[in-house]
Amino acid sequence: MHSFINFIMGPMVWISFLIFFIGVIFRLIGLFKQINAKENFVYTYLSFKYSFRSIFAWLIPFLPVSTRKSPVFYSISYVFHLLLFLIPIFLLSHVALLEESMHWSWVTLSDSTADSLTLIVIFSLIFFFIRRFVVPEVKFLTRLSDFLFILIVALPFVTGFLAYHQFFAYRWMVIVHVLSGELMIILIPFTRFFHMFLAPLTRAYTGSEFGNVRHAKDW
Amino acid sequence: MMKLKRFIFITIVILMITAFYSYSQEEFPMVDNLIFDHPQRPAAVFDHDDHNEKAGVEEDCSICHHVYEGKELIKDESSEDSLCSECHSLKTTPENGISLRMAFHNRCKSCHFKSNNGPVLCGECHIK
Repeated sequence: MHSFINFIMGPMVWISFLIFFIGVIFRLIGLFKQINAKENFVYTYLSFKYSFRSIFAWLIPFLPVSTRKSPVFYSISYVFHLLLFLIPIFLLSHVALLEESMHWSWVTLSDSTADSLTLIVIFSLIFFFIRRFVVPEVKFLTRLSDFLFILIVALPFVTGFLAYHQFFAYRWMVIVHVLSGELMIILIPFTRFFHMFLAPLTRAYTGSEFGNVRHAKDW
Repeated sequence: MMKLKRFIFITIVILMITAFYSYSQEEFPMVDNLIFDHPQRPAAVFDHDDHNEKAGVEEDCSICHHVYEGKELIKDESSEDSLCSECHSLKTTPENGISLRMAFHNRCKSCHFKSNNGPVLCGECHIK
């Protein structure tokens, strides 16, 4: 058991990040090959200025009109995406492990803060889950995989929360926590989690067309 | 008569459960964590003598109570009269690159991983 735990908390972390980075590079190379083959006219109007104007505009809460039309969904979505990165990166336990193995360290959240924030993430995921049943236009587009992706994101947060409180089956809770976290990292380049990289590119594409061709705002 | 028997039986069961819990809630010895300003977790459970007997390290104190000069481990010298925090400060310093928290964690975990025995996960020492 000790060597298994040592493997998933040691080498497997680096293997996951390696697969993540290689996957991202291959996906991006593939993407640009496709653009060059099918849509290389975008380069005629693609601009840094309008790309970043669009990216930043869409990062400001409630600046885009469509976000103001469904304020509840966008508020929850905004906070959820922020916490999805904030909690794991600044979690004391994670930073302590990194410090012990790599001598890297940075500021951390207090455990009680991280605990409350994790509950917000879990409730956001429950909201996204229910939304797929309740909102007709979302329900129409929902497939089984949508729930699967909610589950994959939920697993590391739910098991992390349960492990922190040491409610039951502590060791297994940590093992599932570690493995599900690594699964999520590995899956990013190969699933719709890749919107993490595609979203800014979509904004650059749309922002450049609106700014450079139509001379209009795209938010 | 049946009611009396049942009453006595239930009373005995309740007494046994209470006795079991009051016995099992006996305080575990813990690592002294007073030096930490705002400890985020309960102090690690650690019974010095019990641990050393189980781990078979009673003979050699210097396994844990080591002495370093610079980066050099001084063999056959031990430091059981001083506190870990006398060398390992809360934050790393140029003289000592291993903070107190890291010293505690790595000291315990490296042995436990090597010997395939003992707690290695956060909540296995920091029991709530």
